[in-house]
Amino acid sequence: MQRGLPMQPTVVLLKEGTDTSQGRGQLLSNISACLAIAETLSSTLGPRGMDKLIVNERGDAQITNDGATILKLLDIVHPAARTLVDIARAQDAEVGDGTTSVVLLAAQFLKEVRSFIEDGVSPHIIMKGFRKASQLALDQIQELQITVDKSDPEQFHSLLLKCASTSMSSKLIHSEKPFFSKMVVEAIECLDQDDLDESLIGVKKIAGGGLQDSLLVKGVAFKKTFTYAGAEQQPKHFADPLILCLNVELELKAEKDNAEVRVDAVSEYQAIVDAEWEIIYRKLEAIEKTGAKVVLSKLPIGDLATQWFADRDIFCAGRVAAGDLRRVIQAAGGSIQSTCSDIKKEHLGTCGLFDERQIGGERYNIFEKCPKAKTCTLILRGGAEQFIEEVERSLHDALMVVKRAVRNGEVVAGGGAIEMELSARIRKHALSIPGKLQLIIAAFAKSLEVIPRQICDNAGLDSTDILNKLRMKHASGDKWAGVDVDGASGVRDNMEAFVWEPSLVKINAISSATEAACLILSVDETVRNPQSEQANPGPKAPPGTAQRALRGRGRGMGRR
Amino acid sequence: MSQLAIDPNSAVYTTDEYGRPFIILREQGRKTRAHGLEAIKSHILAAKTVANIVRTSLGPRGLDKILISPDGEITVTNDGATILGQMEVEHQIAKLLVQLSKSQDDEIGDGTTGVVVLAGALLEQSEALLDRGIHPIRIADGFDRACAVAVKHLDQICETIQFSSDDTENLLKTAKTSLGSKIVSKEHTQFAQIAVDAVLQVADLERRDVPFDLIKVDGKVGGSLAETKLIRGVLLDKDMSHPQMPRSVKDARLVILTCPFEPPRPKTKHKLDITSVEEFNKLREYEKEKFADMIKRVKDTGANLVICQWGFDDEANHLLMQNELPAVRWVGGPEIELIAIATQGRIVPRFEDLTKEKLGKAGIVREISFGTTRDKMLVIEDCANTRAVTIFVRGSNKMIVDEGKRALHDAICAVRNLVVDNRVVYGGGSAEISSSIAVSNAADEIPSIEQYAMRAFASALDAIPLALAENSGLSPIETLTEVRSRQVTEKNSKLGIDCNGRGENDMKKQFVYDPLISKRQQYLLATQLVRAVLKIDDVITSGQSEE
Repeated sequence: MQRGLPMQPTVVLLKEGTDTSQGRGQLLSNISACLAIAETLSSTLGPRGMDKLIVNERGDAQITNDGATILKLLDIVHPAARTLVDIARAQDAEVGDGTTSVVLLAAQFLKEVRSFIEDGVSPHIIMKGFRKASQLALDQIQELQITVDKSDPEQFHSLLLKCASTSMSSKLIHSEKPFFSKMVVEAIECLDQDDLDESLIGVKKIAGGGLQDSLLVKGVAFKKTFTYAGAEQQPKHFADPLILCLNVELELKAEKDNAEVRVDAVSEYQAIVDAEWEIIYRKLEAIEKTGAKVVLSKLPIGDLATQWFADRDIFCAGRVAAGDLRRVIQAAGGSIQSTCSDIKKEHLGTCGLFDERQIGGERYNIFEKCPKAKTCTLILRGGAEQFIEEVERSLHDALMVVKRAVRNGEVVAGGGAIEMELSARIRKHALSIPGKLQLIIAAFAKSLEVIPRQICDNAGLDSTDILNKLRMKHASGDKWAGVDVDGASGVRDNMEAFVWEPSLVKINAISSATEAACLILSVDETVRNPQSEQANPGPKAPPGTAQRALRGRGRGMGRR
Repeated sequence: MSQLAIDPNSAVYTTDEYGRPFIILREQGRKTRAHGLEAIKSHILAAKTVANIVRTSLGPRGLDKILISPDGEITVTNDGATILGQMEVEHQIAKLLVQLSKSQDDEIGDGTTGVVVLAGALLEQSEALLDRGIHPIRIADGFDRACAVAVKHLDQICETIQFSSDDTENLLKTAKTSLGSKIVSKEHTQFAQIAVDAVLQVADLERRDVPFDLIKVDGKVGGSLAETKLIRGVLLDKDMSHPQMPRSVKDARLVILTCPFEPPRPKTKHKLDITSVEEFNKLREYEKEKFADMIKRVKDTGANLVICQWGFDDEANHLLMQNELPAVRWVGGPEIELIAIATQGRIVPRFEDLTKEKLGKAGIVREISFGTTRDKMLVIEDCANTRAVTIFVRGSNKMIVDEGKRALHDAICAVRNLVVDNRVVYGGGSAEISSSIAVSNAADEIPSIEQYAMRAFASALDAIPLALAENSGLSPIETLTEVRSRQVTEKNSKLGIDCNGRGENDMKKQFVYDPLISKRQQYLLATQLVRAVLKIDDVITSGQSEE
């Protein structure tokens, strides 16, 4: 503002109600938001991590320990904190594991530099330091990582087992680690080793039974679909059947909804009825002629067709979910037919064994010994739905880790060992740098220690004590020393204890945590437009609801 | 100015440098959060409450509960899964317990009360351990180890019992144990016989498979429980379509139709313009001709009974009557299927497809009526396939009939479990006491903190015999300690609580059996649940949405 001028009228630049915060205060406030989020997550890390029970508005409960899932369910609206949610999701999508660590790391980076910001260090210098440190860390991982020898299949197999069990150690299925890690590794080995498309691993959940009753079907399994009367008279067991997959509705029904038949004479009446029957019978006969013994369709198979098939010892299932049908095709070969005519031999699939089996309270159709078995199905059992869902999430993490390990085959030691080693190396390197960057890089090094510290805290160990022990070990060249939650001393060589993690998980975690921290640091102003008064252009709400919604929103704004 | 201290509860409310609160979560004002030990404690309390509700229903002297549904319907039961299922609990952890008993019900069908009581006892024990400052997961780990010991011990003390389709003595005893605690205990010999007969009728002893779909349990109010019987065939809650049709048909040959007994209509939308009298007459002629044709087709196959999934109008009814074709209309889909399986007939979708081969055969089909009411039911017996059976439960009121059905379901499940796996352990709490001793012995050999948890597990196992003794009016602790010491001194794992006051503690002599898989499942499920509950340290609940 220039001197001497009278008070200038306020220039209205932004719409009324716009909320702007800026400057250092804003930056610090963003940091505290991120820290709050990390605080919520921190107790889930590590083998002694706890679970969260989250109840949504509809009263559905979910019990989970997976970082990405928790953040998704928390429904975070704070713009800076949302960044953390995004990196957790990205980590989930990219490597599938380590979602909690990535959030903790990012928050810790921010926490360490908070005092620098308060002291007036420019965020850009901090960002520069972080980028440099992160690059350093990545280089160090490349240097440290151990490449697994894939040439010996047996040894490789046991390595995969170990990777899978590390990823499960913090989850509910911890006590069944050997059982599930075997299952996970076998599931991955079923897949096409070049492609590793995990969507071909079907997961079916059946409530009831113990976790130990879960099983892996090397083929396809799906729940018996809704059937009409007559299905019980169909044979339920075939060896080497031909399988036909259809996208055709086999039901006696009006062929076209908008068609209308005008019957001129009574005698034509019967002809039309016969013609309708003729249409469906022609379809059914065409199917029978192909020699298929198992007929699956995406669309319903009516009672007429069910009984017709039953008469001819053919098994049929209608309304098969598209994903299941796709996996049947993958496993058994053939292709999905959208017409009943002109089906040739090569359009049919086959499998060694088809069976309908009782699993818990449900009946399952199971296709096994498929010639092209590049797919498999995990059937999960458990006492309650929430268990099974948590088991599914844990297995997903493990599957992803194993998949990554198969693809990349490079591992580092888990349990905080790699973080401690990186921290030690980066700190050493920092000393060789003059200027402010030295402080920043040292802060980065210190932040890495959050992972072992949190593992100790969650396990009820004395973190300060153990961290000091670890620092000492790493300084004396014991590069794989990490936290041991089971033993008495609390420290061990995690490479020898087979606590392994694919290095990719760590690389991705460190780089995305750094990115997120830099992003948050580079923001110094938030401009929030008032929420538009217009109700969202969805279906028109009845009068009154809009007003209510507005009132609710008004209150929300008032709090800021 | 900046405060770094962020206490765990403040993740919901956060203030920035200037003390202004800011929003992190959507609608965070309405979210509630419980954290840490406090959350675990409140969960344990909820679970204990639920367990206490069903606790008094355990054992042969267990008491029943009355449950009144929102629309005033009354259920009287002492089946754990039913009680919990109808309570409509709100609390999330309590819901887990409900699912636990349901899962035991789905898998085993019996022991639903026991599993909840065990889980409640485990949680109660862990509360004391938490107070001592043991990490919840260490407790869960200890429980897991203890559970493994207990399950292994069960495998050791189990005995294989022999049975065959002729020698059902042992199966009967198991069924009786399961029925002992139910309302039907007065008639439990008869009910046990029914359950065993039903299972053996449908069971495939070679493959150890019992298809439950083939056992139908039906009930009707009236008569007494003693009149409950097993029908080796199908029971239909239907009567003949015409009052003058014969009441029973011997050597019935059934036509099973899934099309209405009327002239076929095209499914496509159609319109028939009738412009003249002649045409109208023609239509009438056509319809009549169709009816005659249909009757003829049925007659030609030699059938003497028509089962129809759909209805038919009075004209058809009359024609059937005149042609001496008894008929049943509006038979539901599942029943049609059951009849088809039982009589080995084929379901026929239209009259043109009717052939002699597609008929079902049954020795006798008869209508039975009850007392003074005009309710009638149709019994199809001596079917071609004897593997479909129906159990027909009678009772003086609806609650008794329903409870009778549930009791039978439990008994059938218990027998089924033996057919699937013929290893048993002895009931009356003897297996629990024996496992408890084994677990506490094993605990002493463990050097780490888990030792405490294992001891707690052993005490939790005692909860079952304690509840049994308490419900039977015995002095619980005195009885338990006596049996426990006798088990150790006599090295006899079959000693349990003498609930019926017969002066005999040896459960083998009292013939109280439980299938091994049922007990095992109880231990595993309860331990699993406890682990899940102990692992939760944070509960975030969204407020109810405003609507």
